[in-house]
Amino acid sequence: MYEYNADDTQFLVERVDQFEKQLKRYLNGDLDDAKFRSLRLRNGLYMELHAHMLRVAIPYGVINSKQLRALAGVADKYDRGYGHFTTRQNIQFNWIEVAEIANLLRELSAVGLHAIQTSGKATRNITADPLSGLTEGEIEDARPYCELIRRWFNLHPEFSWLPGKFKIAVNGARLDETALRIHDLGLRLIRNDQGELGFKVFVGGGLGAAAMVGAETASFVPSEDILSYLESAMRVYNLKGRRDNQKRLRIKFLVRELGAEEFSRLVDEDWQQTKNDLELKLNFAELERLKSDFVLPIEPLNIDGFNEEIDFNFSIWKKNNVRGHKISGYSIVNVPLTKLGNAPGDVTSEQMRILADLADKYSARELRTTKRQTIVFPHVRKDQVFELWKSLDKYGLANPHQGTLAQVVACPGGDYCDLAKAVSIPIATQVQQRFDDMGKLLDIGNLNINISGCENSCAHHHIADIGLLGMQKKGEEYYQITIAGETLHETNIGKKLGPSISGTTVVDAVEKIVNVYLENRNKEEKFTEVFKRIGIKPFKERVYE
Amino acid sequence: MSETIELKSILNNDKESVNLVCYSEWIENYKKLSVQGIGVIVEPSDDVFLLKDQLSFIELIVLDFNNFDDGRGYSQAYLLSKRWRYKGEIIGINAHLDQLQFMLRSGVTRYILLDQYKGVNEEDYTNGFSICYQAAANNSGLSQKY
Repeated sequence: MYEYNADDTQFLVERVDQFEKQLKRYLNGDLDDAKFRSLRLRNGLYMELHAHMLRVAIPYGVINSKQLRALAGVADKYDRGYGHFTTRQNIQFNWIEVAEIANLLRELSAVGLHAIQTSGKATRNITADPLSGLTEGEIEDARPYCELIRRWFNLHPEFSWLPGKFKIAVNGARLDETALRIHDLGLRLIRNDQGELGFKVFVGGGLGAAAMVGAETASFVPSEDILSYLESAMRVYNLKGRRDNQKRLRIKFLVRELGAEEFSRLVDEDWQQTKNDLELKLNFAELERLKSDFVLPIEPLNIDGFNEEIDFNFSIWKKNNVRGHKISGYSIVNVPLTKLGNAPGDVTSEQMRILADLADKYSARELRTTKRQTIVFPHVRKDQVFELWKSLDKYGLANPHQGTLAQVVACPGGDYCDLAKAVSIPIATQVQQRFDDMGKLLDIGNLNINISGCENSCAHHHIADIGLLGMQKKGEEYYQITIAGETLHETNIGKKLGPSISGTTVVDAVEKIVNVYLENRNKEEKFTEVFKRIGIKPFKERVYE
Repeated sequence: MSETIELKSILNNDKESVNLVCYSEWIENYKKLSVQGIGVIVEPSDDVFLLKDQLSFIELIVLDFNNFDDGRGYSQAYLLSKRWRYKGEIIGINAHLDQLQFMLRSGVTRYILLDQYKGVNEEDYTNGFSICYQAAANNSGLSQKY
């Protein structure tokens, strides 16, 4: 797998040195709060409810065992022994002392990890399909492109002080695991009629209080021109994006106000000035070098005749958590990080080390992170899946509920986040307790529920089958329910069911929604398919009866 | 009290004083002003595209970087310097120490720091990084490699 080269490492070291100086000036009173806030956010450092939180980037969700051990070390040395995997494939530490931040970042830079632009009004970590390179029918592995885009927009002189944060996702697969169209800018790898590789571009997606699906601004940008196109989109945003209203900073508001057609025209007009600039052409030599670093570390195996272990619990876990790999003889294994009472995505330092050891033994040292806050073992020999399951089970990591209702996605919510209006973790726990029967979960099948503690929508509740948004009403916690959000085959924002519901009864409402689905489901029909067929009314009537 | 610089004139590279007008005054009276060797102060909200065809008449351009989080000046500098190849000086005023590298790489040719930074070693901040992944208006960076 790709590891940072000498230039990348030098860049990380210099960035830490720079931030350390800025921090010293702040602590000496030579840098005011507002400016330091802007600078620390660009280094992933937040001030949360109880302490500082650091968000570390996991570029396009790929991490090796050495890096995970380094993160475990950070959890022990600088945090309280755990980390939290986020819905953008990153990891957060919630109990960081500001004075120790430079040492922490220096330790991470030694293994090619960093927190550069994981927050702030700049281009954030580029996300990709966690199964990039692993599945049949993929147009192209997105990861080399993500890496080139990451580099180009790290400390970009022109686009480091944008009106708002800027999230980019790249997808090369046929299904959209990345949720491209809810990003500020989404890039879908495609081939044109001549077989040439390029990108379909979507701009102006986003969640939050005003959830929007990104508009297509270009049907085909040749791959060699993608940097110039991205620059043009960002230039239009930088010059024309709203800066006068804190609630209208994101590019989605600009696209909405101008209209997608006019925004596209402005981008195209700018792009015509730069698309032939040789400096902005994608460096194909470097791309090929990167591609060679991303070649899968496995060869096809002929092990079809091996005797699979017979174990009831294993078979349930395998059904939900294991899927096919494009390389024969291998499987992809998903490890949900959901445990009763814990924030989904939370993982202890001990678990990180166990996962790292298991990655060494079973997955060519490599792991992936996903927007559903799970860990993926991307390259597991089919005849070793049982062994891996046994090991995971020994350490409480063999949760068999991948893709089911029990695998709740939730933000830290009111227990940790100072932006939250309501708690998320206790509601997630209640959902898991309500649906703790594996037979029932298997009957329900794939159904996802996401819980956000406020309108910032960190848990992506708008794109879940069932989404809960925390809010306050007369000092009490209420939840707005949305249903039938999706991104996999097409992108739809979940529809509001009706008035928000008290936290004391919201899980009852969730159960009613599930029951309406089960009662109306034709064989194998997904939740969104049932919704499209029967509409919102039956769900509404049951919940508000 | 604001410490920001509000200029009526500025010294050019040859240490000669150049009178300055604000953008709106220039747009309104550019035919008259264009023969006077005038410099123009451009604020972040000003539409720099309207200056494009008048650049040869402008002695120098002053961009205001006072608002730390307002990044429009970087695109203005890029357009003036790189795209339209403006020959005069592009001077960044009310500059912040931690943004000098961005200003210079975007095409600002000279800067005037805010008073609050008096006495600091500017070179620590202008040199920026030895590794820059992208092309820049001042030809720095590793564009050929990356």
